[in-house]
Amino acid sequence: MVSKQLSLSTAPAPVRRLPQETSFLKYLCLAPAVIYDSVFFLLPLIFLVWIGFWSVENYRAVPGFSLANYLDIFSQFFERSRYAFAIAQSLWVAFSTTALGIFLCYPFAMALVFLVPERLQRLLLVLSITPFWTSYILRLYAWQTILNNNGLLNRLLMQLNWTKAPLQIMFTQWGTRLGLLHYLAPIIILILYLVLRNTDRTLLGAARNLGATQWQTFWRVILPLSKSGIVYSAIFGLIITLGDVLSGTILGGGTGQSILGKFPLFSSMILNEYSASTNLPRTSALATLLIGIMIVILAAGFKLARSER
Amino acid sequence: MTKEALALLQEASAETAHDLQICGVSKQYGTVPVLDTIDLQVKAGEFIAIMGPSGCGKTTLLRILAGLESMTAGEIWFQGKDITHLPVHQRHTPMVWQSFALFPHLNVEQNIAFGLTLRAHRKPEVQQKVREVVAMLHLDPLLKRRISQLSGGQKQRVAIARALITEPKVLLLDEPMSALDPHLRVRMQGELKRLQQSLGISFIYVTHNQNEAFSMADRVVVMNQGRIEQVGTPADIYSRPATHFIAEFVGNNNLFDGEVIALDQNRVTVHCPQGTLRSNWHDRCPQLGDRVTIVVPADRVSLDSPDHPNENKITATLRGLEFMGSQMIYFLETDTGYEVRVIRQETLDHSSAISINSRLQLGWRTQDTVLLGERIESGHNHGQ
Repeated sequence: MVSKQLSLSTAPAPVRRLPQETSFLKYLCLAPAVIYDSVFFLLPLIFLVWIGFWSVENYRAVPGFSLANYLDIFSQFFERSRYAFAIAQSLWVAFSTTALGIFLCYPFAMALVFLVPERLQRLLLVLSITPFWTSYILRLYAWQTILNNNGLLNRLLMQLNWTKAPLQIMFTQWGTRLGLLHYLAPIIILILYLVLRNTDRTLLGAARNLGATQWQTFWRVILPLSKSGIVYSAIFGLIITLGDVLSGTILGGGTGQSILGKFPLFSSMILNEYSASTNLPRTSALATLLIGIMIVILAAGFKLARSER
Repeated sequence: MTKEALALLQEASAETAHDLQICGVSKQYGTVPVLDTIDLQVKAGEFIAIMGPSGCGKTTLLRILAGLESMTAGEIWFQGKDITHLPVHQRHTPMVWQSFALFPHLNVEQNIAFGLTLRAHRKPEVQQKVREVVAMLHLDPLLKRRISQLSGGQKQRVAIARALITEPKVLLLDEPMSALDPHLRVRMQGELKRLQQSLGISFIYVTHNQNEAFSMADRVVVMNQGRIEQVGTPADIYSRPATHFIAEFVGNNNLFDGEVIALDQNRVTVHCPQGTLRSNWHDRCPQLGDRVTIVVPADRVSLDSPDHPNENKITATLRGLEFMGSQMIYFLETDTGYEVRVIRQETLDHSSAISINSRLQLGWRTQDTVLLGERIESGHNHGQ
């Protein structure tokens, strides 16, 4: 019996095949995502960039490859149309709004994770995301009725005798920011909630155990550990606010007075140029510039998020 | 115990100063008791191991000492000060965590220095302290590493260094070895013990592992279901288990339940289903008719020749074997269906091999047994 077992064990083991990595099923499962992204995202994007190199003859866009649009845009960077100032204005609004959004949403997400009992967390999270499910334009018009000179807010303030004259929020950059914040908040809260929820609680205990006050635990452990969440919300916030036209138009009134002067947002500028000139190639070139800025932000963001690991 | 009485006690015992006094600490989750009036004194420089099965409350007790968890009743005194209501960060009772709990966003050096940098500090002093601890734990080449680049053993050293850098008087350790592989565990046991002795501070070490507790601790606290079952030196606990639970939990013991039928001087005769057995009594003289338990360590039972002059004898059938290197565990079954274990040193050539299902005569000397005085609940499963 024993010898039989021994002879069996010394026999060469059958060559085991690894499960095939490149299975048909894998491609089948990936296909819908790849096809969807290519048809509805990548192709239009390539098309947009391509049109930027076309030219206009007799008020009609003609396919071709010319850098004329870009040369013209760059020649007007600081004079006449002054695109650079509009880009700066856009970046200023985008960065300040995103920073404000993270600053306001972080305590909320933290309270949700650390103070709210487990069974209520999901409910509160859903409630904080619900604005996302109503139309963005409707929300902006709703804000108009609230922020108007004759709106809800100003009437209330004057009724309470807190202000004599109506507060000018509509058609200022603060109006723009408010609309954008309302749009961003659910996204930022969701990202921060997920990241903060993953914080290893024993690390908080360890910090306290080593002598950290609650405040120190926040600054030295919770905040650094949630850096990736902050970076990701910043990426989302910046890209959304840079590309948004509606809030700037409906609440901000197109041109906004700011510390940079009276310049429109770059996105509104692109839209206005198109409606005024219907020069599709030139507008596409402008849009490509905006996309380029977003790609730079995206790359910087990912690099930053990775270096924190 | 009142505070006045405690203060008196403290003055009286200034010689053997207690670092830590746990008085009547209880904790309940709702109506579920987790800790039930725990009393324990830890002397300065003492290595205490708190041992027990999972869920016995040992980790909860440690967390209460650290201030990480609240208690329902009781007091904790640390070096003559009542720290019952002191918040966590003021207790100065650093802990080595089961999962090490190192900060992943800091490197080894920053992790170790963490506790010092929380207070007002000067950089050169911190660096000096870090150098000292690092040298003590042989971490020099790892200072700039990220935590994710460390092995389990290295992580543990960093965790210990981080806890020791603030020069605490007591170190709390929560199953620190459970994440290490076995051979490393044995090496760390020796190292930890040496570290504790050279520092001269108290270690309170929570574990479910009996080897760790016995090899390092000056005193072992055995807990079960939120209560302390026995406190004593490892030798005490091993050779004189106080309760049924400890006799079963600690090591390979055979337990025989029975009724006292005869008494003389320091010896009792007990009638058990397995036969009539004798044992010595030490602390408490049993009465005729008492239900008692005789504990026979598995390594004291011999299964050699039937004519060996042993005072206690039973017969059993060999049902199984477990090979443990130099030792072999024999699992036997008595005629009444009890399992009896025997541990025996094996000869290298296995010349003494016994075949399964053979009937054997087991024997042991009376002085190798321990009598448990406690009453046995009916239906208690024993001899496991």
